[in-house]
Amino acid sequence: MKHAMPLDNACKNFEEDMVLYYYGENSGAERRRVEQHLSSCVSCQGFVADLNRVLRPMAEQQKMPQTFWDNYYRETVAKLAEQSERKYWWRTWLTPVRGWMVPAFGTLAGTVLVVGLLFGKGDLSSFVERPSRKVPQEIIADSNQLEFFRTMDMLESLDKLEQQDGTKSELQNTHSSRVRLYKGVA
Amino acid sequence: MKTRIALALVFGLFLPLLAEQAIGADDNWRNLSPREKDRVQRNYQRWQSLPPQDKEHLREEWSRYQRLPREQQDRLKQRYNDQRRDRRED
Repeated sequence: MKHAMPLDNACKNFEEDMVLYYYGENSGAERRRVEQHLSSCVSCQGFVADLNRVLRPMAEQQKMPQTFWDNYYRETVAKLAEQSERKYWWRTWLTPVRGWMVPAFGTLAGTVLVVGLLFGKGDLSSFVERPSRKVPQEIIADSNQLEFFRTMDMLESLDKLEQQDGTKSELQNTHSSRVRLYKGVA
Repeated sequence: MKTRIALALVFGLFLPLLAEQAIGADDNWRNLSPREKDRVQRNYQRWQSLPPQDKEHLREEWSRYQRLPREQQDRLKQRYNDQRRDRRED
């Protein structure tokens, strides 16, 4: 229990100087003055002795074996890695599929997606067959326009077809006459 | 790193949507038979060389045709196809 003992009191005027004296940080004259006082003051001698008793073990470096430092390094690296893992928690999901499996899985997923989309449409061969360059994309993409060009032949003879069908309404007749008149004028 | 991951996620999510849209846009074309595709191409070429009044007339006929009842549309289409077939056989 020696370490638990309180420090002896130094003289008030010398207390700070004693600490500096202990660390060897007094100037020459100051040091001599302190030494002179110490030679005649028992309390201050006790104070310096106590400083020596308490501070020396604290300043002493404990020599650690190499295994300690090896373990210390390993633990530090492990803790840093753990901290990094915690930052990217979602990466733990990928732990079983690291390395070459990531691009392999990506390629497989992409292939499945493309094949799924194509077979979902039920016509794989038609995907390869691109629309003709003669027909612009805006027509191909617009079902209404596509249907218009698909039935254009029929539209040209719509009047005739309706007459043959015998179902043409009076309104339609009027309209067609108007168109014929228009075409005649044009 | 975070930016790269965010970009990868964005592309990963939108790529299938864009692919689906692109495939969907060509669906109408792909569903046509080779003969129908050929007809569309020929009609489009012909359309480009038509005078404006003929284009106008065809547009009006198209609007009128669309307003017809479905069964009448089918009947007219059937009649037209029959006549074409007959002409080819003659």
